Amino acid sequence: MSAQTGMTGSPAGPVTPVPAGLPSGPGNGSTRQGSARPSGGPAGRGRRAETRAAWVLALPFCILFLAFTAWPVIQSFFMSFTDTKAKDLKHPFSVNVIGLDNYTKALSDPIFRKSAVNTAYFVLIGMPLTLVMALAAAVALDKGISRFRAVFRLGFYLPVITSIVAVAVVWRFLLQDPGGLINTALGWVGIDGPNWLGDPKWSMPALIMMAAWRNFGTAMIIFLAGLQSVPAELHEAAAIDGAGVWQRFRNVTMPLLRPTLLFVMVTTAIGYLQFFEEPYVMTQGGPLNSTMSLTYATFNQFGFGNYGLAAAMSYIIFVVIAIVTAVQFRLLRERS
Amino acid sequence: MRRTTITVACMTAAALTMTACGRSADNGGAAAQTGAAVSTGAAKGNLTMWAMGAEGDKLPELIKDFETANPGLTVKVTAIPWNAAHDKFMTAVTANKTPDLAMVGTTWMGELAGSDALDPTPSQIDKSAFFDGAQKTTEVGGTSFGIPWYVETRVVFYRSDLAKKAGFDTVPSDQAGLKEMAKAMQTKAGAKWGLGLQAGGTGSWQSLMPFAWSNGADLTKDGGKAYNFDSPQMLESMKYYQSYFTDGISDKAAPATPTTEPDFASGKVPMFISGPWEMSGVEKVGGAGFKDKYNVAPIPAGSAGSSSFVGGSNLAVFKSTQNRDAAWKLVQWLAQPDVQAKWYTMSTDLPSVKSAWQDPKLTSDKKLAVFGKQLETAKAPPSFSTWEQVVANLDTELEKVTKTGADPAAALKTVQQQADSVGTGQ
Repeated sequence: MSAQTGMTGSPAGPVTPVPAGLPSGPGNGSTRQGSARPSGGPAGRGRRAETRAAWVLALPFCILFLAFTAWPVIQSFFMSFTDTKAKDLKHPFSVNVIGLDNYTKALSDPIFRKSAVNTAYFVLIGMPLTLVMALAAAVALDKGISRFRAVFRLGFYLPVITSIVAVAVVWRFLLQDPGGLINTALGWVGIDGPNWLGDPKWSMPALIMMAAWRNFGTAMIIFLAGLQSVPAELHEAAAIDGAGVWQRFRNVTMPLLRPTLLFVMVTTAIGYLQFFEEPYVMTQGGPLNSTMSLTYATFNQFGFGNYGLAAAMSYIIFVVIAIVTAVQFRLLRERS
Repeated sequence: MRRTTITVACMTAAALTMTACGRSADNGGAAAQTGAAVSTGAAKGNLTMWAMGAEGDKLPELIKDFETANPGLTVKVTAIPWNAAHDKFMTAVTANKTPDLAMVGTTWMGELAGSDALDPTPSQIDKSAFFDGAQKTTEVGGTSFGIPWYVETRVVFYRSDLAKKAGFDTVPSDQAGLKEMAKAMQTKAGAKWGLGLQAGGTGSWQSLMPFAWSNGADLTKDGGKAYNFDSPQMLESMKYYQSYFTDGISDKAAPATPTTEPDFASGKVPMFISGPWEMSGVEKVGGAGFKDKYNVAPIPAGSAGSSSFVGGSNLAVFKSTQNRDAAWKLVQWLAQPDVQAKWYTMSTDLPSVKSAWQDPKLTSDKKLAVFGKQLETAKAPPSFSTWEQVVANLDTELEKVTKTGADPAAALKTVQQQADSVGTGQ
């Protein structure tokens, strides 16, 4: 987990600050050549001083970055190729390099495989559900609800800023069987609700519901901003041409919303692929490992002290996230 | 260009570190050790001690007595929440910033001793003073590291009033009898479930093992060098455990948040197996007079007599301590029968020292005596550093056995295979 956050942080890290410290602008190449001459003119000396100053200014960041982002990433990557156990932490380099063994072990581990299926289930159902809920709420806030708009906006966003621990307590009451609010409400319409968290078939749907409820607020806020940037004139023009509400939404709003949609999809997918908190507080991965997620399985391996294996698992998750993100960019890229 | 240079540099550095590593050859299975003798006289200097949970909060009060007896000594007790403790210990060991002594979870002994962090127990401490099963939890590879501080064990809790209705005065002393009684609770005393057994989830092995140990199961083989899960005794016990679920005596789909106490008080589940803390738990929920409506009984005997699970916490001194003598003196003091009895009144932690049970503070409670008797035969799991990982598989497989009716023999085979591939970590 630490490996991942390190990795996701890294692409922006090393690239931006270093060039920013270097001389830039037109004529960059020639002045640098000039300054390389031993008897450089005053302009060259000024440039050199500037470069030095830039490096000095960038240094604190570089050191912090190298020590706290780059090094952990390198070490965890290295760890994933070794048989590091918890008791080796005192001497992190006196371990055996075992090549790709950890990776093959992770991929053949039945619990890790099961958790991969569970995570896919969670993302494939949970992400569309979250996006649809968020978009619906955003459209309603943008067009439909005019009174108490701020109250609704706050209400929908509140779950995002509420602590998962508090959310878990409330949801456990809601999902309780028998006697939970959800099953009581289902009972009113004659449905005998399932034992949500105790039944392996229903535990994942219950967590998906909870995650969608908890996360759609963020997506909603971003969609709302996107909706408000759709020019009203386009809607007017389309309306004059005879387009109905649904046609305008599909052919005017949606295309203009595509960059927003891409952003929301990518961030939601990254978050959902690292699905952890909900099973951790609600089910501990059970019953029958039906809510065990990839990150939870990895977390357990860290807990068992199998640091090498856990690091390999983290990198597998990282690769999956990278691939899923790349696919989304490809599917939703700007077609001009 | 610049990026290529960085990449090349990184790869070279990585390659260099790769070649520099490798385990040192001596992974020595050293012989059993005994710590050097501790000096006599008063303890002096400063000590830092870590303790978890309620113990961490109440311990400073107890230790005041020790400080009064040893005027040159100051003990600083740091309370640590249980859920953060394991990580904190491992980080401390890695950074060589351990306390002088600490309360240690019994299942961490293998890991901590394996990291060479603990000091072997000196010979002055009489190991036979403690309950045997508890003493075993301090032993890793034949060497004892520290002492058992307090213990807990699991016994059968039952509603004595409902048992009378079901036609039982007490819990039968054999496993078949227990099942009959649980069934009678359902048919004659109106209970929804006869016996509350954990169907799965973390720690469900602790409900299974009392039966297995009573049947004579041994979790190690080859002279304590390997795990042993697919033994006939384990199979017999797992089948017995499963039968409670297939016969509808125990609830397969118990709620995610346990409702043991309210269900016990309402008579919905009038029997369960748990530890001493449940006495205050059920009495609080049951209200006034509930004390007389329930009782406790030892685990019904199997072919090897009655046994149970022993848990609790140990006390250990760390190797890196600068004040070894004082640390061990504090440990010795905490193991004195009178101090253990006093600690029971402060914390309700059961004494690990056998003679402390003669203290009137403990003998006055009849229910407590059942725990004391059970402790004499109770057993602890092996102190291998991989135990937690291996037993997590047992939890998973046990859940399949209880909930989906999976074959116990196949389940144990899977656990054994996984245990063999993980190894004991010694």
